Amino acid sequence: MKAFANVHPAACMTYFLSVLSVSMFIPHPVLQAEALLGGIMFCATLQKRREALRDLGFYLPLFLMIAVTNPLFSHNGVTPLFFLNGNPVTMEAFLYGVSVAVMVIGVLLWCKAYSEIMTSDKFLYLFGKIIPKLSLVLSMALRFIPVYLRQARRVSRAQRAMGLYSGKSFTDRIRNKLRVFSAMISWSLENAMETSASMRARGYGKKGRTNFSLFRFRSSDISLLAACVFLLAVTLAGASLGITDFTYYPRVGIIRTTPDALAVYASFGVLSLLPFIMEVKEAVVWNCCKSKI
Amino acid sequence: MELLQVEDLSFRYPKSERDALYGIDLSVQSGEFIVLCGPSGCGKTTLLRLLKKELAPYGERSGQILYNGAPQDALTDAGEIGFVRQDPESQIITDKVWHELAFGLENMGVPTEVIRRRVGEMASFFGIEGWFRQRTDELSGGQKQLLNLASVMVMQPKLLILDEPTGQLDPIAAADFITTLQKLNRELGLTILLAEHRLEEVFPIADRALVLENGRVLLDDAPRMIGTRLSEFGRDHPMLRALPSAVRVWRGIGSGDPCPLTVREGRDFLERNFNSRAEELPVPEAPHDAETAVELKNVWFRYEKDSPDVLRGVSVKVYRGEIFCILGGNGAGKTTALNVIAGLDRPYRGGVLINGRHIKDYKGGALYRKNLAFLPQNPETVFVRDSVRADLAEILEAAETPKEECAPRIEKIAERLGIADLLDRHPCDLSGGEQQKSALAKVLLSEPRILLLDEPTKGIDAFAKRDLREILRKLKSDGITVIMVTHDVEFAAETADRCAFVFDGELLSVDPPQKFFAENSFYTTAANRMARGLWKNAVTCEQVIECCRAEAGKK
Amino acid sequence: MKKRISYGIMFLLIPAVVLCGAFLFPAKQYAWISLCAAVLSCVPFFLRFERGRVGTSQMILIASMTALSVLGRVLFAPIPGFKPVTAMVVITAMYFGGEAGFLTGSLSALISNFWFGQGPWTPFQMFSWGILGLIAGLLADPLKRSRVMLAVYGAFSGVLYSVIMDIWTVLWADGYFNLSRYAAAMVSALPFTAVYAVSNVIFLLLLGKSIGKILDRIGTKYGLQMR
Repeated sequence: MKAFANVHPAACMTYFLSVLSVSMFIPHPVLQAEALLGGIMFCATLQKRREALRDLGFYLPLFLMIAVTNPLFSHNGVTPLFFLNGNPVTMEAFLYGVSVAVMVIGVLLWCKAYSEIMTSDKFLYLFGKIIPKLSLVLSMALRFIPVYLRQARRVSRAQRAMGLYSGKSFTDRIRNKLRVFSAMISWSLENAMETSASMRARGYGKKGRTNFSLFRFRSSDISLLAACVFLLAVTLAGASLGITDFTYYPRVGIIRTTPDALAVYASFGVLSLLPFIMEVKEAVVWNCCKSKI
Repeated sequence: MELLQVEDLSFRYPKSERDALYGIDLSVQSGEFIVLCGPSGCGKTTLLRLLKKELAPYGERSGQILYNGAPQDALTDAGEIGFVRQDPESQIITDKVWHELAFGLENMGVPTEVIRRRVGEMASFFGIEGWFRQRTDELSGGQKQLLNLASVMVMQPKLLILDEPTGQLDPIAAADFITTLQKLNRELGLTILLAEHRLEEVFPIADRALVLENGRVLLDDAPRMIGTRLSEFGRDHPMLRALPSAVRVWRGIGSGDPCPLTVREGRDFLERNFNSRAEELPVPEAPHDAETAVELKNVWFRYEKDSPDVLRGVSVKVYRGEIFCILGGNGAGKTTALNVIAGLDRPYRGGVLINGRHIKDYKGGALYRKNLAFLPQNPETVFVRDSVRADLAEILEAAETPKEECAPRIEKIAERLGIADLLDRHPCDLSGGEQQKSALAKVLLSEPRILLLDEPTKGIDAFAKRDLREILRKLKSDGITVIMVTHDVEFAAETADRCAFVFDGELLSVDPPQKFFAENSFYTTAANRMARGLWKNAVTCEQVIECCRAEAGKK
Repeated sequence: MKKRISYGIMFLLIPAVVLCGAFLFPAKQYAWISLCAAVLSCVPFFLRFERGRVGTSQMILIASMTALSVLGRVLFAPIPGFKPVTAMVVITAMYFGGEAGFLTGSLSALISNFWFGQGPWTPFQMFSWGILGLIAGLLADPLKRSRVMLAVYGAFSGVLYSVIMDIWTVLWADGYFNLSRYAAAMVSALPFTAVYAVSNVIFLLLLGKSIGKILDRIGTKYGLQMR
């Protein structure tokens, strides 16, 4: 499982940026639907069923909210469905709302997959070369956070066991959290000075620092990168030729079905389904191996 | 070959009235294993930090430090001298184990492929492969300290300096750590300078021991000689309490034999000098007739709904005015049991009675007013203000004590715990022992009748331990019930009225320490392991010495 | 030399990317440009930090303040909008200067989203918190002197944060600045904006002085210089 998690960070980042930029900025119904589908399939491979159901409970209402509220703000379009307070509620505005909702949810899903796959260490690796100092700051902050969380929990328990602000009322709880937080500041800055001593002791601050990582660029990453660039290029070429232009106002446009348009749809479709395809392939290979044993 | 030479080194902190170190002379030969000991505040840490120029404290100094025959400032490679400090947590810099190992090499500008190899080699030497890709915050204390050691070793130092590296570890992890140091010294010829207050394991493997007192070198000799030479400074030199049990027993008897260092040598020494007929010491009665202060009735506890049980049907009665010790390994459920008594965790089955009343019936903090106090394992978590005095005052304010009573009560408790001169200090500026006493002062201001302590001896030295024991005895004589969880069998043997052993979420045995430890064969004090063939239930050094004297008197 | 080339490439590449995007995404070009602007506005600060002579202690203090503001975001998570992030950013800026403030702000946004989820809003949060820190750095002296100023700035920053974040929402949804949608978004976010403003004031007044004291103490104890 998670075939995509083993991809080299650079290939991974390129992939996510390609899909996200198209799905965020090209409002074409077919491409948006493909992005949404790809996002759903990707997240489905990453999640357990229970989580997926919980997410559905979040995304479905969001979808309805965006789709339904748009006609209330926008009265463009020529096909009124009915009138509300003297303002026309148009079909175009409604369809536009649906398209915005598809886009937003598609992007949210892709971002979810991104957070799952592009873990902080991959992110740090990518930027470690360009901004080494900052990425070290990030790495330290990422280390501090769980340590601080644990310490904050300890402080809060210690305070509770002294009977200080242990009431259940809202203000007591806030006051308790504030006390814990301000105690944490003192402790953590003190600790930070100790850590900085440790950095100096291990020779930090000299010139010519190198950047080490465990990631290796493999041939499979090259092919993924190449596929990704090619498919994105076809999609963007389509965009530059105006094939993906689509309007909702004043009248909903027509989805083109010329061969070049189909090629663009197909290439973005493959692009957005790549992780799912990889996942399926991996599962098939795995099952084959298992049945041979 | 002389690796390090310190000549007439003196040091004074800014705004301080006296020298922290004066006239230190020290020479370290390549391949030596030197242990540095002395009470807290004797200048150990200052000396060690001065030896590593990146960590040298600010202040006035005179004298010189030569490394490899050249002044210390000429040394440009930070990897030459490795340094490991007490707190495992604050030394870790990055969020992943592999990155932490590579950090020093990255700083030195070593290319990736070389780093990959060296890191791999070091990880397998220290047995880190299993958690190589983990996050650093998921590690146990022992693993963290091992990681700190490994990430210093990866830079291939010639000299390794360690400042009380096992202070925050449990005894098993501490012993493992010391064994690793011994391996580094024996197999790689690494020069080691180690400050330590747990000398039981370190003394036998060190080549030389250095005793520091009030900023000067008191003794510099082979560990075996330290016991004898300390007598030069009076019969009751405080340093004697910190020595290994074998040395203490040997000194207490005042024998002409060579000084034993290990349990085995100690046992041989005793058996050589005394007849081996098993005799029992009288066991003091546990106070069974007194009122019950805390009672656990068939307590079951787990953290999550579907996680395994941590406590499985624990039942026990603790009587008023006794010191009750809960012992056991890591993850056995000791701390959980204490948290349940403290009302921090709620059992899902069974009941907890505090002074005969069900814990659930104490509402809105009533449990913690004039009733029960809890001192957590990390005493710094007790403080939230910017001076000890403000923190102490806060407790009184919460209890709505009249203003004019506050100041005298704070003075009184400070006097009693010996922290009067710490009142205006910031809690973060205190040493481990001081922090603990101040934290104890704060929780005692709620006038508890039951005091709960979690690992009170962690990170404090033999002197602070003695202070703590005196304090606990005083509290006991005031009728306060003390329940503590500890790994420290020596402390439990010397302090407790009754000890309980927790294993796998169950309470296996509850007995007075003499009986408790006599019936264990492995989980017992070093003194008992030495003497058990002669006097089965002599568990503290004092008891062994007493038995020896009585035996000698009979002759 | 190598560095200079890479900077040269960057200065050519960045406008090229922005222009191409504007050309390729005609329907959403404003959203694209605003996203690029949010990302790019962070670049000079990041580069200055990389090239400047920043001490180890200062680096670690920024890391620590960042971690603390994320801790605050987690600690106070049950109360929506009531977060000490802005306060921590402003305080960092007051004591370590505007650049440190910008960095703490933008890094806090980036890092806390590793927990709370990354998305197109990340660059805008980075920009908003960063810019709040930067302004606080410019106003450091009056902010340190007067508690009233501090409170006013706290309230102002709460409003500014909302104002900036909603611009993106509208540009992205409609492709142009739809005033009625913006107004609606602002109105619906009004309770949040109010909580932001109030919490900023509370946190700044409560923490400002005490963190100042802590930093002073640590400064003398470890012999390090602020700013």
